[in-house]
Amino acid sequence: MAKAYINGTGCISPQDSINSQWFFDPVTPPSGDYYNAKEPSYKEFIAPNLLRRMGRAIKMGVAGANLALQQAGATKVDAIITGTGLGCFEDSERFLLAMLNNNEQFLTPTSFIQSTHNTVGSQIALIMKCHDYNFTYVHRGFSFESTLQDALMLFSEGKESVLVGGIEEHTPNFVELNRRAHKFKTYDPAIPFWKSTTPGIQMSEGAAFFVLGKHKTERSMATIEGVQTLYKPKSSDVILKKLSAFLDSHGLSLAQIDVCLMGFSSDVNFDVHLKELLPEIEKETVAAHFKHLSGEYHTASAFALWTATKLIEKQELPEVLAISDRKPSQIRHVLIINQYLGINYSFTLVSKC
Amino acid sequence: MSQRIYITGLGVISAIGNNVPETLASLTQSKTGIGKIHHLTTRYKDEFLAGEIKLSNEQLADLVNDHNPDLNRNSYIAMLAAKEAVQNSGIDTADGLRTGVISSTTVAGMGKTELYYKELFEKDDHLSVLDTHDCGDSTERIADFLGNVDYVTTISTACSSAANAIMLGCRMIKNGLLDRAVVGGVDALSKFTFNGFNTLMILDKEWSKPFDENRKGLNLGEAAAFLVIEGEEALKKRNGKALAEIVGYANTNDAYHQTASSPEGYGAQMAIEQALQMSGLKPGDIDYINMHGTGTPNNDLSEGTATRAVFGDKVPRFSSTKAFTGHTLAAAAAIEAVISVLSIQNDMIFPNLNFTTPIAGLDLVPETSLVKTPVNTVLSNSFGFGGNCSSLIFKKVSA
Repeated sequence: MAKAYINGTGCISPQDSINSQWFFDPVTPPSGDYYNAKEPSYKEFIAPNLLRRMGRAIKMGVAGANLALQQAGATKVDAIITGTGLGCFEDSERFLLAMLNNNEQFLTPTSFIQSTHNTVGSQIALIMKCHDYNFTYVHRGFSFESTLQDALMLFSEGKESVLVGGIEEHTPNFVELNRRAHKFKTYDPAIPFWKSTTPGIQMSEGAAFFVLGKHKTERSMATIEGVQTLYKPKSSDVILKKLSAFLDSHGLSLAQIDVCLMGFSSDVNFDVHLKELLPEIEKETVAAHFKHLSGEYHTASAFALWTATKLIEKQELPEVLAISDRKPSQIRHVLIINQYLGINYSFTLVSKC
Repeated sequence: MSQRIYITGLGVISAIGNNVPETLASLTQSKTGIGKIHHLTTRYKDEFLAGEIKLSNEQLADLVNDHNPDLNRNSYIAMLAAKEAVQNSGIDTADGLRTGVISSTTVAGMGKTELYYKELFEKDDHLSVLDTHDCGDSTERIADFLGNVDYVTTISTACSSAANAIMLGCRMIKNGLLDRAVVGGVDALSKFTFNGFNTLMILDKEWSKPFDENRKGLNLGEAAAFLVIEGEEALKKRNGKALAEIVGYANTNDAYHQTASSPEGYGAQMAIEQALQMSGLKPGDIDYINMHGTGTPNNDLSEGTATRAVFGDKVPRFSSTKAFTGHTLAAAAAIEAVISVLSIQNDMIFPNLNFTTPIAGLDLVPETSLVKTPVNTVLSNSFGFGGNCSSLIFKKVSA
């Protein structure tokens, strides 16, 4: 399989990641048991006539895509691939509630039209006039990983540049309902995620886009060497075995990984396997984490990829991400091990160009 | 990289049958599944028609033999169709080869969410719909139902979704990531989609008339359809039997409008041309086109124009089978892939029901009754909101 050069990134998250100079300092603490994305001034990215009708997921997605394209100096791509677990939830909910409240009468189509999961990808295609390959993945914690896997295949099949992104939004109602279902807990900086003994996550949202190229350019920041997903692995041993095989297929061992970014969510039930893995990882390399900054959502792994790119670019592991006091002497290879709900696991290998 | 991809199993449940044999019987008898609404709760029950699966949720639960309250209609029908496809193919997911489940859906768990959403704010009884609302839910249910699945993902590109699931399965096998895959799509009817299409004013209150000058819109349907596809190496290993080969596919974007297709059908034309190019077939080699043919004024004109642009005055025999099943959204391309394979297997072209008058200026006349003729190659089109255009080409396996 081909590898992909990361030539541009755009990341909207609860942090200041939209500022390309931001390097995990300062860090914004979460607002209780959930995070809101820090949204940019959209006027800089989206024409006012379009902006008026767009839901937040679409705005975040289009702005994230624009940032990535600007950074890559690209005006066209050969493919647009988006990933989202819940899609344009705000528009879906708006249409749903209007329908329920008005007994199926007096409805207008705008929010229905924008409720389809592929709205972000198709809006980007419309704006870029991109008639080429357009895909939207909607599989829980694999939504973003699937976009990367697809992009790597497209490079093997002859495409030269691909825009990929992960997008998630929440609404006040959705936050409230998930809180009622006891899915959240308030963030406590005194308890490290990997030591948590209670269930609950901090629900979050965001959009991270990447312009990927088959060839290295002067703007290339890192490469994606490979991606693998694991569905419901039975134990941490299974994950470790699969991980060894994955690294082996890229000619690497765990000892050659400089930083391992782990997707601890602070939910004791979801983090079981990762907790068991942590000592194995720390035997060979430096472990770090990211969801205390991004919060948890289906495509949080897109924030992790953005983070990995930053670490390689700056050749430094900021303290806020570290799990122990150990520092990597250099950062050539970053491995992301993510998990979502303890069901969807993935490995993403990111390397220095 | 150039491994050939074969279809080895079919599974389907829709308004025209709960399995493949029933579906074939309805198709050969010109028996539509579209009628009065029985299962969907909507104020428009007596005003519109729909292509409903003729089983209640309770009956579906009996069929999958699982009364887990977290299962919804989408999951039930997806599990049934996927299981039929696997049984039909004869694959054993526990044999050590890598099996993927690649599904697609647009409505996902909305059919259940809409029943309880308002009460969720006050009562705890149905909060679990939050866990089954998303698109990945039914896919993981299929994977767990089949067992020993190595890979899962889900696609949602509106009404072209399942074509893209089929395409992704082919590509993953060719790229060496999987040996075989269960690919397809599912969409149960929901009040949400029904009202959505109603606000767009593209629902016909009578039977839809694809490619007719006087077509007024589509009838919604519900379905799940899955195909087992295998790389030639995996197929050889188990000495399995191929039903048809997938020789071409393409995905393009019309990039014209969020919901409407461009009048000239630019995206559609590109998808057809690129799929042909990949297959190595010439336009004249296609024996039958299973059209997207929703029956909306916009789609059929756009698709018809694209068809003329590619095939000129030698348009192959064609029909839209949506007047049988209704438009089943994410499942449409999968059910039409199943119908395309049935067409190849039985050397039959199934009729385009309710057609009388060709669209002015296009003069395209579909088959209106069952045609028995050799069918070696079928082109199947699927287009969706967001400009997503996908075409697939199926070919008879030479003896």
